[in-house]
Amino acid sequence: MTDDFNTVSDDDLNAYVDGVLSPEQRARIEKWLERNPARAEEVRQWQAQAVELRAHFAGYARSDVRDRALLSRAAQGDNAQPAPDRVAPHLGRRMRAIAAGLALFAAGTLTGLYAPALLTADTEIRPIAVADSLPRQAQSAFLVYASEVRHAVEVGADEQSHLATWLGKRLDHPLSIPDLSSLGFSLVGGRLLPVNGRAGAMFMYEDGTGQRLTVLLGRNDDNRETSFRIDSANGVETFYWIDGPIGYAVTGEVPRELLQQVADECYRQFEKSEATKS
Amino acid sequence: MSQSRNGDDEDAGEHPASDRFEEDVLALVPALRRYARSLVRSDPDGEDLLQDCVEKVLSRRAQWRGVNLRAWAFTIMTNLGRNRHRYVAMHPQVALDEDLGLQAEDRESDPLERSRLERALNGLSPENRSVLMLVVIEGYRYQDVAEMMAIPIGTVMSRLSRARRQLAEAMKDDNVISMRRPK
Repeated sequence: MTDDFNTVSDDDLNAYVDGVLSPEQRARIEKWLERNPARAEEVRQWQAQAVELRAHFAGYARSDVRDRALLSRAAQGDNAQPAPDRVAPHLGRRMRAIAAGLALFAAGTLTGLYAPALLTADTEIRPIAVADSLPRQAQSAFLVYASEVRHAVEVGADEQSHLATWLGKRLDHPLSIPDLSSLGFSLVGGRLLPVNGRAGAMFMYEDGTGQRLTVLLGRNDDNRETSFRIDSANGVETFYWIDGPIGYAVTGEVPRELLQQVADECYRQFEKSEATKS
Repeated sequence: MSQSRNGDDEDAGEHPASDRFEEDVLALVPALRRYARSLVRSDPDGEDLLQDCVEKVLSRRAQWRGVNLRAWAFTIMTNLGRNRHRYVAMHPQVALDEDLGLQAEDRESDPLERSRLERALNGLSPENRSVLMLVVIEGYRYQDVAEMMAIPIGTVMSRLSRARRQLAEAMKDDNVISMRRPK
């Protein structure tokens, strides 16, 4: 963004935080930050902020049973608002009675936000939230746990079979833990994590230099398949894919080629264990 | 993996009234819901904004140029969010209702942390806030944001810096003086 080797602009720092720089540019910024601790602290805050913001809003990227109704209301140019009292005039008598009951209930406890969900008959939806938020959740998990020294995992690699059984049970999906030793990574352990609000599993790996990778698995209600996708933020790369009921995400702060090899290897091994189980 | 899901795959003929365009919009709703919520003060307000946006997307369908529906819908949402912000600023009683909504919200994460971040975000201008959300949460490139908001890329960058600094500053203040109560 600027040619002068000695100058680093706000634009450069933003691009650094947003992970859109080449490795050479990153190295230049990092060198500069070493000599400018105040700006380095600022960059650290920006990075933490980004993680916090993503985590804060991730849960909202979900489908809702009334999305289709939302669309048909909107298509009719109907100005109905989600609050029950404003929805009521557009509904039949029976529905108005339900809405009235709900409004009473909502007044005391909720905000009324969920009331129309019970009023819609057509509940068929196809969530895309998993594909959308999986890499973000994987990156948050990586950033939080990969830097943990003592509590990076709940169950260590020494209890590998217990780990697979336990997490498989919570995920409600038989599970085998990928062996990445051919790529120089050994298992550190695993933990239970919320993924899209349900139980998910994370495995952590480490190479000889302490470089870490995580493999995240979460339920995918959508039950479809996707190709490999890549998502990077703040220099953290994630390969992710969805295979029927499970979404997978492989995350690390390593070169993309290496991460792809890891993702390929995981995919191959998950496929194989799938095949032997079914 | 043979659990059957009712009609997940062949829904083409199931909803004769809705067409491909509406299906595409429907698929965007989760992302739009998140973006809407990231621009406003409360959950009900987010759902409200989402509804306004979906309505506008459908009614302006003829104006869509056929490329990148997602970016187009996000642009519409950005503008609606800015208008709403102005409206709320002029009608304080609306803001009061929304604050009630925020308190009624019950999530598993630390509510204090959540409201701390929300307060800091509410201090941002709507322009700076949208740029921050489009880049950080929605993952748009700077150039995309410039096109979506019809502003020069330099403006995107300065808004982004300003949003980040202001947010960091607000969070810092909040750490030192935590006497303000949510109610």
